Amino acid sequence: MPPLVVIDRLTKWYGPWLAVDSVSLDVGAGEVVGLLGPNGSGKTTILRILSGYLRPSAGTARIAGLDVVNDALLTRARVGYVPEDAPLYGSMGVREFLVFMGRLKGLTTRAVAGAVEAAIERLALGEVRHVLVAKLSRGYRQRVAIAQALLGDPDLLILDEPTNGLDPRQIIEMRGHIRALAGEHTVLVTSHILGEVERIADRVAILLGGRLLGVHAVRSGGLGHFRVRVRGSEEAVHACLARVAGVQRVSLERQVGADHGTYLVDANESMVEGTLAAAVVGAGLVLLELAPAPLDLEALFLRLTSEKDKTSA
Amino acid sequence: MKHFGTLLLKEERAIFASPIAYATVTVYLLLMGYTFTAILFLNRTGELVRVFFQAAVLFLLMVPVITMRLFAEERRTGTLELLLTSPVKEIEIVLAKFVAGLTIPVLMLGLTGSYAAVLGIYGEPDWGPIYSGFLGLLLLAAALTAIGLLASGLTSNQIVAAVVAMGVGILLWMIDTLGYLLPEPLDAIATHLSLVAHFTPFATGALFLSDVGFFLNIVVAALFLSVRTLARR
Repeated sequence: MPPLVVIDRLTKWYGPWLAVDSVSLDVGAGEVVGLLGPNGSGKTTILRILSGYLRPSAGTARIAGLDVVNDALLTRARVGYVPEDAPLYGSMGVREFLVFMGRLKGLTTRAVAGAVEAAIERLALGEVRHVLVAKLSRGYRQRVAIAQALLGDPDLLILDEPTNGLDPRQIIEMRGHIRALAGEHTVLVTSHILGEVERIADRVAILLGGRLLGVHAVRSGGLGHFRVRVRGSEEAVHACLARVAGVQRVSLERQVGADHGTYLVDANESMVEGTLAAAVVGAGLVLLELAPAPLDLEALFLRLTSEKDKTSA
Repeated sequence: MKHFGTLLLKEERAIFASPIAYATVTVYLLLMGYTFTAILFLNRTGELVRVFFQAAVLFLLMVPVITMRLFAEERRTGTLELLLTSPVKEIEIVLAKFVAGLTIPVLMLGLTGSYAAVLGIYGEPDWGPIYSGFLGLLLLAAALTAIGLLASGLTSNQIVAAVVAMGVGILLWMIDTLGYLLPEPLDAIATHLSLVAHFTPFATGALFLSDVGFFLNIVVAALFLSVRTLARR
Protein backbone atom coordinates (compact mmCIF):
# COMPACT_ATOMS: atom_id res chain seq x y z
CA MET A 1 0.00 0.00 0.00
CA PRO A 2 1.50 3.41 -0.93
CA PRO A 3 2.16 5.79 1.96
CA LEU A 4 -0.63 8.26 2.75
CA VAL A 5 1.77 11.16 3.28
CA VAL A 6 4.81 11.68 1.09
CA ILE A 7 7.05 14.59 1.98
CA ASP A 8 9.84 15.15 -0.52
CA ARG A 9 12.71 17.56 0.14
CA LEU A 10 10.37 19.99 1.84
CA THR A 11 12.00 23.36 2.50
CA LYS A 12 10.66 26.52 4.08
CA TRP A 13 12.38 29.86 4.43
CA TYR A 14 11.05 32.66 6.64
CA GLY A 15 12.95 35.54 5.07
CA PRO A 16 16.62 34.73 5.63
CA TRP A 17 15.87 32.01 8.22
CA LEU A 18 15.74 28.42 7.06
CA ALA A 19 13.00 26.79 9.14
CA VAL A 20 12.76 23.44 7.30
CA ASP A 21 15.75 22.11 5.41
CA SER A 22 14.99 19.56 2.69
CA VAL A 23 12.98 17.15 4.85
CA SER A 24 11.76 13.91 3.28
CA LEU A 25 9.42 11.56 5.13
CA ASP A 26 6.78 8.97 4.27
CA VAL A 27 3.89 8.13 6.59
CA GLY A 28 1.87 4.97 6.05
CA ALA A 29 -1.91 4.76 6.37
CA GLY A 30 -3.01 4.15 9.95
CA GLU A 31 0.38 5.01 11.43
CA VAL A 32 0.97 7.38 14.34
CA VAL A 33 4.17 9.27 13.65
CA GLY A 34 5.63 11.70 16.16
CA LEU A 35 7.73 14.67 15.13
CA LEU A 36 10.16 15.24 17.95
CA GLY A 37 12.50 18.15 18.39
CA PRO A 38 13.19 21.21 20.50
CA ASN A 39 11.38 24.49 19.91
CA GLY A 40 12.39 25.98 16.56
CA SER A 41 13.29 22.63 15.02
CA GLY A 42 10.70 22.97 12.24
CA LYS A 43 7.99 20.61 13.54
CA THR A 44 5.14 23.12 13.48
CA THR A 45 6.20 24.51 10.11
CA ILE A 46 6.04 21.03 8.55
CA LEU A 47 2.59 20.46 10.03
CA ARG A 48 1.42 23.88 8.85
CA ILE A 49 2.55 23.07 5.31
CA LEU A 50 0.72 19.74 5.40
CA SER A 51 -2.42 21.41 6.75
CA GLY A 52 -2.35 23.95 3.92
CA TYR A 53 -1.75 26.95 6.19
CA LEU A 54 1.76 27.62 4.85
CA ARG A 55 3.24 27.09 1.42
CA PRO A 56 6.64 25.44 1.05
CA SER A 57 9.55 27.41 -0.40
CA ALA A 58 10.73 24.27 -2.18
CA GLY A 59 9.97 20.56 -2.28
CA THR A 60 6.58 18.89 -2.26
CA ALA A 61 4.15 17.31 0.15
CA ARG A 62 1.41 14.94 -1.00
CA ILE A 63 -1.50 13.52 0.94
CA ALA A 64 -3.26 10.53 -0.64
CA GLY A 65 -1.52 11.43 -3.88
CA LEU A 66 -2.76 15.05 -3.83
CA ASP A 67 -0.33 17.95 -3.74
CA VAL A 68 -0.92 20.22 -0.74
CA VAL A 69 -0.32 23.35 -2.86
CA ASN A 70 -1.84 22.52 -6.24
CA ASP A 71 -4.79 20.55 -4.82
CA ALA A 72 -5.12 22.66 -1.71
CA LEU A 73 -8.90 22.46 -1.21
CA LEU A 74 -8.99 18.71 -1.85
CA THR A 75 -6.14 17.97 0.55
CA ARG A 76 -7.59 20.24 3.25
CA ALA A 77 -10.81 18.22 3.04
CA ARG A 78 -8.79 15.08 3.86
CA VAL A 79 -6.96 16.59 6.83
CA GLY A 80 -8.14 17.26 10.37
CA TYR A 81 -5.87 19.82 11.98
CA VAL A 82 -5.42 20.84 15.60
CA PRO A 83 -3.07 23.83 15.75
CA GLU A 84 -0.85 24.45 18.77
CA ASP A 85 -2.78 25.90 21.75
CA ALA A 86 -6.08 24.73 20.21
CA PRO A 87 -7.50 28.05 18.95
CA LEU A 88 -11.31 28.00 19.12
CA TYR A 89 -14.14 30.52 18.86
CA GLY A 90 -14.74 31.39 22.50
CA SER A 91 -18.10 33.08 21.90
CA MET A 92 -19.63 29.87 20.53
CA GLY A 93 -21.04 26.95 22.47
CA VAL A 94 -19.24 23.60 22.03
CA ARG A 95 -21.94 22.07 19.82
CA GLU A 96 -22.43 25.29 17.89
CA PHE A 97 -18.69 25.44 17.20
CA LEU A 98 -18.58 21.83 16.03
CA VAL A 99 -21.57 22.36 13.74
CA PHE A 100 -19.88 25.44 12.28
CA MET A 101 -16.65 23.54 11.62
CA GLY A 102 -18.59 20.61 10.16
CA ARG A 103 -20.33 22.92 7.71
CA LEU A 104 -16.98 24.41 6.70
CA LYS A 105 -15.76 20.90 5.98
CA GLY A 106 -18.62 20.52 3.53
CA LEU A 107 -20.94 18.28 5.57
CA THR A 108 -24.66 18.60 4.84
CA THR A 109 -27.07 19.69 7.57
CA ARG A 110 -28.11 16.09 8.22
CA ALA A 111 -24.57 14.70 8.05
CA VAL A 112 -23.18 17.39 10.30
CA ALA A 113 -25.64 16.58 13.10
CA GLY A 114 -24.60 12.91 13.10
CA ALA A 115 -20.89 13.69 12.82
CA VAL A 116 -21.04 16.21 15.66
CA GLU A 117 -22.87 13.81 17.96
CA ALA A 118 -20.34 11.07 17.16
CA ALA A 119 -17.42 13.42 17.89
CA ILE A 120 -19.04 14.61 21.13
CA GLU A 121 -19.49 11.02 22.26
CA ARG A 122 -16.00 9.93 21.22
CA LEU A 123 -14.27 12.78 23.02
CA ALA A 124 -16.65 12.61 26.02
CA LEU A 125 -17.90 16.16 25.57
CA GLY A 126 -21.54 15.45 26.37
CA GLU A 127 -21.65 17.35 29.65
CA VAL A 128 -20.20 20.53 28.09
CA ARG A 129 -22.02 20.44 24.75
CA HIS A 130 -23.89 23.70 25.48
CA VAL A 131 -21.12 25.43 27.45
CA LEU A 132 -19.40 28.43 25.88
CA VAL A 133 -15.97 27.45 24.56
CA ALA A 134 -14.43 30.42 26.41
CA LYS A 135 -15.52 28.88 29.73
CA LEU A 136 -13.92 25.47 29.11
CA SER A 137 -10.86 24.14 30.92
CA ARG A 138 -7.68 23.56 28.96
CA GLY A 139 -8.33 19.83 28.77
CA TYR A 140 -11.83 20.26 27.38
CA ARG A 141 -10.62 22.87 24.87
CA GLN A 142 -8.06 20.38 23.58
CA ARG A 143 -10.75 17.71 23.27
CA VAL A 144 -13.06 20.09 21.41
CA ALA A 145 -10.19 20.90 19.06
CA ILE A 146 -9.66 17.21 18.34
CA ALA A 147 -13.42 16.71 17.95
CA GLN A 148 -13.55 19.38 15.22
CA ALA A 149 -10.57 17.75 13.50
CA LEU A 150 -12.45 14.42 13.38
CA LEU A 151 -15.46 15.91 11.57
CA GLY A 152 -15.64 14.74 7.98
CA ASP A 153 -13.68 11.58 8.83
CA PRO A 154 -10.30 12.83 7.57
CA ASP A 155 -7.58 10.45 6.38
CA LEU A 156 -4.88 12.40 8.19
CA LEU A 157 -5.03 13.97 11.65
CA ILE A 158 -2.42 16.58 12.44
CA LEU A 159 -1.98 17.38 16.13
CA ASP A 160 0.47 20.10 17.11
CA GLU A 161 1.61 19.71 20.73
CA PRO A 162 -1.73 18.23 21.86
CA THR A 163 -0.64 17.73 25.48
CA ASN A 164 0.75 21.24 25.97
CA GLY A 165 -0.52 22.87 29.13
CA LEU A 166 -2.52 19.87 30.33
CA ASP A 167 -2.32 18.53 33.86
CA PRO A 168 -1.03 14.94 34.37
CA ARG A 169 -4.50 13.39 34.43
CA GLN A 170 -5.53 15.25 31.28
CA ILE A 171 -2.27 14.19 29.60
CA ILE A 172 -3.03 10.52 30.29
CA GLU A 173 -6.59 10.96 28.93
CA MET A 174 -5.30 12.75 25.84
CA ARG A 175 -2.77 9.97 25.16
CA GLY A 176 -5.63 7.50 25.31
CA HIS A 177 -7.69 9.54 22.85
CA ILE A 178 -4.78 9.79 20.40
CA ARG A 179 -3.88 6.10 20.60
CA ALA A 180 -7.55 5.26 20.04
CA LEU A 181 -7.42 7.16 16.75
CA ALA A 182 -4.55 5.04 15.43
CA GLY A 183 -5.56 2.59 12.73
CA GLU A 184 -8.72 4.50 11.81
CA HIS A 185 -6.74 7.60 10.95
CA THR A 186 -3.15 8.37 10.15
CA VAL A 187 -1.87 10.67 12.87
CA LEU A 188 1.01 13.11 12.76
CA VAL A 189 1.73 14.52 16.19
CA THR A 190 4.43 16.86 17.44
CA SER A 191 5.98 17.20 20.83
CA HIS A 192 9.18 18.47 22.35
CA ILE A 193 8.74 15.99 25.21
CA LEU A 194 10.46 12.65 24.58
CA GLY A 195 8.24 10.62 26.88
CA GLU A 196 5.08 11.88 25.22
CA VAL A 197 6.10 10.80 21.72
CA GLU A 198 7.34 7.47 23.03
CA ARG A 199 3.93 6.72 24.51
CA ILE A 200 1.86 7.95 21.56
CA ALA A 201 3.72 7.19 18.34
CA ASP A 202 4.56 4.11 16.28
CA ARG A 203 7.53 5.88 14.73
CA VAL A 204 9.37 9.01 15.66
CA ALA A 205 11.04 11.51 13.32
CA ILE A 206 13.71 13.52 15.10
CA LEU A 207 14.22 17.09 13.90
CA LEU A 208 16.82 19.66 14.82
CA GLY A 209 17.43 23.03 13.22
CA GLY A 210 14.95 22.25 10.46
CA ARG A 211 16.72 19.02 9.44
CA LEU A 212 15.43 15.51 9.81
CA LEU A 213 18.07 13.58 11.75
CA GLY A 214 16.42 10.19 11.60
CA VAL A 215 13.21 8.18 11.74
CA HIS A 216 12.95 5.32 14.23
CA ALA A 217 10.34 2.76 15.16
CA VAL A 218 9.13 3.16 18.72
CA ARG A 219 6.27 0.72 18.94
CA SER A 220 7.91 -2.31 17.35
CA GLY A 221 8.51 -4.47 20.42
CA GLY A 222 12.22 -3.88 20.11
CA LEU A 223 12.40 -5.16 16.56
CA GLY A 224 15.22 -3.30 14.85
CA HIS A 225 17.03 -2.49 18.08
CA PHE A 226 19.19 -5.13 19.75
CA ARG A 227 21.39 -5.36 22.80
CA VAL A 228 24.38 -7.66 22.20
CA ARG A 229 26.78 -8.73 24.96
CA VAL A 230 29.98 -10.01 23.45
CA ARG A 231 33.43 -11.08 24.63
CA GLY A 232 36.06 -9.69 22.32
CA SER A 233 37.94 -6.46 21.61
CA GLU A 234 35.83 -3.41 20.93
CA GLU A 235 37.38 -2.93 17.47
CA ALA A 236 36.70 -6.54 16.50
CA VAL A 237 33.09 -6.42 17.71
CA HIS A 238 32.45 -3.11 15.90
CA ALA A 239 33.99 -4.42 12.69
CA CYS A 240 32.04 -7.67 12.88
CA LEU A 241 28.62 -6.16 13.62
CA ALA A 242 28.95 -3.20 11.24
CA ARG A 243 29.64 -5.62 8.36
CA VAL A 244 26.27 -7.34 8.80
CA ALA A 245 23.84 -6.36 6.07
CA GLY A 246 21.06 -4.14 7.39
CA VAL A 247 22.93 -2.84 10.42
CA GLN A 248 22.77 0.92 10.51
CA ARG A 249 24.61 1.79 13.70
CA VAL A 250 26.62 0.02 16.39
CA SER A 251 27.40 1.73 19.66
CA LEU A 252 29.07 0.59 22.85
CA GLU A 253 26.58 0.82 25.69
CA ARG A 254 28.76 -0.43 28.56
CA GLN A 255 32.32 -1.69 28.80
CA VAL A 256 32.50 -4.42 31.47
CA GLY A 257 36.13 -5.45 31.22
CA ALA A 258 39.00 -5.12 28.77
CA ASP A 259 37.42 -7.57 26.32
CA HIS A 260 33.80 -7.67 27.40
CA GLY A 261 31.08 -5.15 26.50
CA THR A 262 27.43 -4.56 25.78
CA TYR A 263 26.60 -3.04 22.40
CA LEU A 264 23.45 -1.48 20.99
CA VAL A 265 22.69 -2.31 17.37
CA ASP A 266 20.21 -0.34 15.23
CA ALA A 267 19.19 -2.38 12.24
CA ASN A 268 16.54 -2.51 9.54
CA GLU A 269 13.32 -3.86 10.90
CA SER A 270 13.65 -6.89 8.63
CA MET A 271 16.78 -7.93 10.53
CA VAL A 272 16.49 -10.97 12.74
CA GLU A 273 18.56 -11.83 15.72
CA GLY A 274 19.90 -15.00 14.04
CA THR A 275 21.85 -13.06 11.43
CA LEU A 276 23.60 -11.07 14.12
CA ALA A 277 24.32 -14.15 16.22
CA ALA A 278 25.78 -15.98 13.24
CA ALA A 279 28.02 -13.03 12.40
CA VAL A 280 29.39 -12.79 15.95
CA VAL A 281 30.04 -16.50 16.22
CA GLY A 282 31.44 -16.63 12.69
CA ALA A 283 33.97 -13.93 13.60
CA GLY A 284 35.28 -16.08 16.43
CA LEU A 285 33.81 -13.87 19.17
CA VAL A 286 31.95 -15.16 22.22
CA LEU A 287 28.26 -14.27 22.19
CA LEU A 288 27.02 -13.93 25.77
CA GLU A 289 23.60 -12.36 25.17
CA LEU A 290 21.48 -11.14 22.27
CA ALA A 291 18.02 -9.70 22.83
CA PRO A 292 15.68 -7.12 21.34
CA ALA A 293 16.13 -3.80 23.12
CA PRO A 294 13.35 -1.27 23.41
CA LEU A 295 14.38 2.02 21.81
CA ASP A 296 15.76 4.44 24.38
CA LEU A 297 14.42 7.57 22.79
CA GLU A 298 16.22 9.90 25.12
CA ALA A 299 19.59 8.33 24.35
CA LEU A 300 18.80 8.28 20.65
CA PHE A 301 17.78 11.93 20.67
CA LEU A 302 20.94 12.96 22.51
CA ARG A 303 23.11 10.88 20.20
CA LEU A 304 21.55 12.24 17.00
CA THR A 305 21.58 15.83 18.15
CA SER A 306 25.20 15.60 19.33
CA GLU A 307 26.16 14.07 15.97
CA LYS A 308 24.43 17.00 14.27
CA ASP A 309 26.30 19.45 16.51
CA LYS A 310 29.63 17.81 15.60
CA THR A 311 28.74 17.98 11.91
CA SER A 312 27.80 21.64 12.21
CA ALA A 313 31.03 22.41 14.06
CA MET B 1 -19.37 29.82 -2.65
CA LYS B 2 -21.09 27.02 -0.71
CA HIS B 3 -19.55 28.12 2.59
CA PHE B 4 -20.48 31.80 2.27
CA GLY B 5 -23.73 31.46 4.23
CA THR B 6 -22.07 29.54 7.07
CA LEU B 7 -19.26 32.08 7.31
CA LEU B 8 -21.61 35.07 7.08
CA LEU B 9 -23.81 33.72 9.88
CA LYS B 10 -20.78 33.23 12.10
CA GLU B 11 -19.52 36.76 11.38
CA GLU B 12 -22.93 38.34 12.02
CA ARG B 13 -23.17 36.52 15.35
CA ALA B 14 -19.71 37.71 16.30
CA ILE B 15 -20.55 41.31 15.39
CA PHE B 16 -23.79 41.38 17.34
CA ALA B 17 -22.22 39.55 20.29
CA SER B 18 -19.78 42.42 20.68
CA PRO B 19 -20.72 45.64 22.53
CA ILE B 20 -18.83 47.60 19.87
CA ALA B 21 -21.77 47.34 17.46
CA TYR B 22 -24.30 48.64 19.97
CA ALA B 23 -22.02 51.42 21.24
CA THR B 24 -21.23 52.56 17.71
CA VAL B 25 -24.86 52.62 16.58
CA THR B 26 -25.96 54.41 19.75
CA VAL B 27 -23.34 57.14 19.49
CA TYR B 28 -24.04 57.53 15.76
CA LEU B 29 -27.78 57.95 16.38
CA LEU B 30 -27.25 60.46 19.19
CA LEU B 31 -24.93 62.61 17.08
CA MET B 32 -27.07 62.32 13.96
CA GLY B 33 -30.25 63.04 15.86
CA TYR B 34 -28.73 66.19 17.30
CA THR B 35 -27.48 67.29 13.85
CA PHE B 36 -30.78 66.59 12.11
CA THR B 37 -32.81 68.43 14.75
CA ALA B 38 -30.50 71.41 14.86
CA ILE B 39 -30.35 71.78 11.08
CA LEU B 40 -34.09 71.29 10.68
CA PHE B 41 -34.98 73.97 13.21
CA LEU B 42 -32.32 76.40 11.93
CA ASN B 43 -32.97 76.04 8.17
CA ARG B 44 -36.57 74.86 8.15
CA THR B 45 -35.98 73.27 4.72
CA GLY B 46 -36.83 69.73 3.61
CA GLU B 47 -33.39 68.52 2.61
CA LEU B 48 -30.70 66.31 4.12
CA VAL B 49 -27.49 67.53 2.45
CA ARG B 50 -25.78 68.51 5.71
CA VAL B 51 -27.06 65.37 7.40
CA PHE B 52 -25.45 63.28 4.66
CA PHE B 53 -22.09 65.02 5.10
CA GLN B 54 -22.32 64.60 8.86
CA ALA B 55 -23.07 60.89 8.36
CA ALA B 56 -20.15 60.57 5.95
CA VAL B 57 -17.72 62.04 8.48
CA LEU B 58 -19.07 59.76 11.20
CA PHE B 59 -18.62 56.77 8.86
CA LEU B 60 -14.97 57.79 8.35
CA LEU B 61 -14.49 57.55 12.10
CA MET B 62 -16.79 54.66 13.01
CA VAL B 63 -16.51 52.13 10.18
CA PRO B 64 -12.84 51.35 11.07
CA VAL B 65 -13.97 50.63 14.63
CA ILE B 66 -16.47 48.10 13.29
CA THR B 67 -14.04 46.47 10.85
CA MET B 68 -10.93 46.43 13.05
CA ARG B 69 -11.68 43.02 14.59
CA LEU B 70 -12.68 41.17 11.43
CA PHE B 71 -9.29 39.63 10.70
CA ALA B 72 -7.07 41.06 13.46
CA GLU B 73 -8.99 39.25 16.20
CA GLU B 74 -8.83 35.94 14.34
CA ARG B 75 -5.12 36.40 13.75
CA ARG B 76 -4.52 37.22 17.44
CA THR B 77 -6.47 34.26 18.78
CA GLY B 78 -5.19 31.83 16.12
CA THR B 79 -8.65 30.95 14.77
CA LEU B 80 -7.59 32.26 11.36
CA GLU B 81 -5.47 29.10 11.13
CA LEU B 82 -8.64 27.02 11.57
CA LEU B 83 -10.42 28.93 8.80
CA LEU B 84 -7.51 28.83 6.37
CA THR B 85 -6.92 25.10 6.86
CA SER B 86 -10.58 24.28 6.19
CA PRO B 87 -11.58 23.45 2.62
CA VAL B 88 -12.79 27.02 2.11
CA LYS B 89 -11.70 29.51 -0.53
CA GLU B 90 -10.06 32.71 0.69
CA ILE B 91 -12.54 34.80 -1.33
CA GLU B 92 -15.45 33.23 0.58
CA ILE B 93 -13.88 34.25 3.88
CA VAL B 94 -13.19 37.79 2.64
CA LEU B 95 -16.68 38.29 1.15
CA ALA B 96 -18.40 36.96 4.27
CA LYS B 97 -16.42 39.33 6.47
CA PHE B 98 -17.05 42.23 4.09
CA VAL B 99 -20.81 41.72 4.01
CA ALA B 100 -20.90 41.21 7.78
CA GLY B 101 -18.78 44.34 8.30
CA LEU B 102 -21.20 46.32 6.13
CA THR B 103 -24.20 45.24 8.22
CA ILE B 104 -23.76 47.87 10.93
CA PRO B 105 -23.29 50.80 8.50
CA VAL B 106 -26.37 49.59 6.59
CA LEU B 107 -28.28 49.41 9.87
CA MET B 108 -27.14 52.97 10.64
CA LEU B 109 -28.31 54.08 7.20
CA GLY B 110 -31.64 52.36 7.71
CA LEU B 111 -32.14 54.23 10.98
CA THR B 112 -31.03 57.47 9.30
CA GLY B 113 -33.94 56.87 6.93
CA SER B 114 -36.23 57.94 9.78
CA TYR B 115 -35.09 61.53 9.18
CA ALA B 116 -36.25 61.31 5.58
CA ALA B 117 -39.53 59.86 6.84
CA VAL B 118 -39.96 62.85 9.20
CA LEU B 119 -39.39 65.22 6.26
CA GLY B 120 -41.89 63.26 4.17
CA ILE B 121 -44.56 63.38 6.91
CA TYR B 122 -44.21 67.06 7.78
CA GLY B 123 -43.08 68.55 4.44
CA GLU B 124 -42.65 67.99 0.74
CA PRO B 125 -38.95 67.24 0.24
CA ASP B 126 -37.28 66.72 -3.13
CA TRP B 127 -36.80 62.97 -2.97
CA GLY B 128 -34.17 62.75 -5.73
CA PRO B 129 -31.25 64.14 -3.69
CA ILE B 130 -32.40 62.12 -0.69
CA TYR B 131 -32.30 58.83 -2.61
CA SER B 132 -28.95 59.67 -4.21
CA GLY B 133 -27.57 60.78 -0.87
CA PHE B 134 -28.43 57.44 0.70
CA LEU B 135 -26.90 55.63 -2.28
CA GLY B 136 -23.74 57.72 -1.90
CA LEU B 137 -23.55 56.91 1.81
CA LEU B 138 -24.02 53.21 1.08
CA LEU B 139 -21.21 53.26 -1.48
CA LEU B 140 -18.97 55.26 0.86
CA ALA B 141 -19.67 52.79 3.67
CA ALA B 142 -18.85 49.87 1.36
CA ALA B 143 -15.54 51.48 0.35
CA LEU B 144 -14.60 52.24 3.96
CA THR B 145 -15.58 48.71 5.05
CA ALA B 146 -13.38 47.19 2.34
CA ILE B 147 -10.46 49.44 3.35
CA GLY B 148 -11.01 48.54 7.02
CA LEU B 149 -11.11 44.85 6.18
CA LEU B 150 -7.82 45.13 4.30
CA ALA B 151 -6.18 46.96 7.22
CA SER B 152 -7.49 44.33 9.64
CA GLY B 153 -5.98 41.58 7.50
CA LEU B 154 -2.52 43.11 7.77
CA THR B 155 -2.15 43.01 11.55
CA SER B 156 -3.12 41.09 14.65
CA ASN B 157 -3.64 44.33 16.59
CA GLN B 158 -7.16 45.73 16.38
CA ILE B 159 -6.13 49.26 17.40
CA VAL B 160 -3.47 49.35 14.68
CA ALA B 161 -6.05 48.12 12.17
CA ALA B 162 -8.53 50.82 13.21
CA VAL B 163 -5.96 53.63 13.17
CA VAL B 164 -4.58 52.60 9.76
CA ALA B 165 -8.07 52.30 8.24
CA MET B 166 -9.09 55.64 9.75
CA GLY B 167 -5.92 57.28 8.47
CA VAL B 168 -6.39 55.95 4.94
CA GLY B 169 -10.08 56.91 4.93
CA ILE B 170 -9.48 60.45 6.17
CA LEU B 171 -6.55 60.90 3.77
CA LEU B 172 -8.70 59.81 0.83
CA TRP B 173 -11.53 62.05 2.04
CA MET B 174 -9.43 65.22 2.01
CA ILE B 175 -6.80 64.39 -0.60
CA ASP B 176 -8.36 66.78 -3.13
CA THR B 177 -7.10 69.72 -1.05
CA LEU B 178 -3.58 68.41 -1.71
CA GLY B 179 -4.31 68.63 -5.44
CA TYR B 180 -4.01 72.41 -5.39
CA LEU B 181 -0.39 72.11 -4.28
CA LEU B 182 0.63 69.50 -6.85
CA PRO B 183 1.75 69.92 -10.48
CA GLU B 184 -0.07 68.30 -13.37
CA PRO B 185 -1.01 65.47 -13.71
CA LEU B 186 -0.64 64.68 -9.99
CA ASP B 187 -3.26 67.30 -9.09
CA ALA B 188 -5.83 65.52 -11.26
CA ILE B 189 -4.92 62.16 -9.75
CA ALA B 190 -5.26 63.52 -6.21
CA THR B 191 -8.67 65.00 -7.06
CA HIS B 192 -9.78 61.79 -8.71
CA LEU B 193 -8.87 59.78 -5.60
CA SER B 194 -10.84 62.07 -3.31
CA LEU B 195 -13.77 60.50 -1.50
CA VAL B 196 -15.39 63.87 -0.87
CA ALA B 197 -15.12 64.85 -4.55
CA HIS B 198 -17.02 61.71 -5.52
CA PHE B 199 -19.45 61.83 -2.61
CA THR B 200 -20.55 65.46 -3.02
CA PRO B 201 -22.56 64.86 -6.24
CA PHE B 202 -24.53 62.10 -4.50
CA ALA B 203 -25.31 64.32 -1.49
CA THR B 204 -26.46 67.20 -3.69
CA GLY B 205 -28.61 65.08 -5.97
CA ALA B 206 -26.34 64.63 -9.01
CA LEU B 207 -25.82 61.00 -9.92
CA PHE B 208 -22.86 60.08 -12.13
CA LEU B 209 -21.93 56.55 -13.07
CA SER B 210 -18.25 57.51 -12.82
CA ASP B 211 -18.76 58.23 -9.11
CA VAL B 212 -20.51 54.90 -8.62
CA GLY B 213 -17.64 53.22 -10.49
CA PHE B 214 -15.08 54.99 -8.28
CA PHE B 215 -16.50 53.59 -5.07
CA LEU B 216 -16.98 50.14 -6.57
CA ASN B 217 -13.36 50.22 -7.79
CA ILE B 218 -12.17 50.90 -4.25
CA VAL B 219 -14.28 48.02 -2.94
CA VAL B 220 -13.02 45.55 -5.56
CA ALA B 221 -9.37 46.64 -5.19
CA ALA B 222 -9.44 46.41 -1.37
CA LEU B 223 -11.19 43.02 -1.40
CA PHE B 224 -8.74 41.70 -4.01
CA LEU B 225 -5.81 42.84 -1.86
CA SER B 226 -7.44 41.23 1.20
CA VAL B 227 -7.66 37.91 -0.65
CA ARG B 228 -4.03 38.24 -1.74
CA THR B 229 -3.01 39.05 1.83
CA LEU B 230 -4.68 35.84 3.04
CA ALA B 231 -3.22 33.77 0.21
CA ARG B 232 0.33 35.05 0.84
CA ARG B 233 1.51 32.81 3.65
